[in-house]
Amino acid sequence: MPTDRLSTTFAALADPTRRAILARLTSGEAFVTELAEPFKMSLPAVSKHLKVLERAGLISRGREAQWRPCRLKADPLKDADEWLERYRRFWEESFDRLDEYLGEIQERQKKRKKEDKDGRDR
Amino acid sequence: MAETGNAPTSSTQQELVIERIFDAPRELVWKAWTEPEHTMRWWGPKGFTCPHCEIDLRVGGKYLNCMRGPAGTDFDKDFWSTGVYREIVPPEKIVCTDSFADEKGNVVPASHYGMTGDVPLEMLVTVTFEDLGGKTRMTLRHEGLPAGEMSEGAQQGWSESFDKLAEVLAKA
Repeated sequence: MPTDRLSTTFAALADPTRRAILARLTSGEAFVTELAEPFKMSLPAVSKHLKVLERAGLISRGREAQWRPCRLKADPLKDADEWLERYRRFWEESFDRLDEYLGEIQERQKKRKKEDKDGRDR
Repeated sequence: MAETGNAPTSSTQQELVIERIFDAPRELVWKAWTEPEHTMRWWGPKGFTCPHCEIDLRVGGKYLNCMRGPAGTDFDKDFWSTGVYREIVPPEKIVCTDSFADEKGNVVPASHYGMTGDVPLEMLVTVTFEDLGGKTRMTLRHEGLPAGEMSEGAQQGWSESFDKLAEVLAKA
């Protein structure tokens, strides 16, 4: 079983029908019925291929299950936004922790200073 | 406590900028960024830990960090990142590259960690620290590097991913 992303992508691309589906989607989104037409395949058979492509992240499908159109997921600008968004979350959450940690260190420093002072006063 | 009233963070398509004001002196914030024992305490999102952090703080020196996702989640694995320091001005500025890596510090594409999207192989991170008299304004700029500017390490990463591709194809 392919486990990493690259393997999944290549496994998805290894099939001529799936490559043809992707080629069709480069000219715009399409419904399952439209995609099935040129292949003389049953809808469930086409759906199976679409699921593989979807799992590989190569296509996305609309929300309404029955009538969802398929589209290529290849918009580089959208992708750029996605990865920046992931980094934003990474940094923002890291900085929340940094903020807390800086507070902790300073508390400890203060406490240590006070203990040193108390020690000297004793 | 988190300082409220931080300037809003902004992003364009190719870069993201985050600004924070920390209630701590600049030297301490600098330490938190440049000394592994401190960096390990905050590197990574909420719930993550940082079990490994190496910092060779000189221009041309490298860092190698690992962050570990929370057990039982989709992120329950080790994510390594590395980069080369391009500019170091204590305690004001750090410029370094940033890439995903394996545990040996070899650059790998984001797909190595199952990430989709057009993630640049190498990114540039610029952090500046401004002294606000006991507080510190930190500004982080994170941007993708065009392929032409890729360092040797990043290119090596590509050639390794091509090796991997060849392997996959050989098995197919």
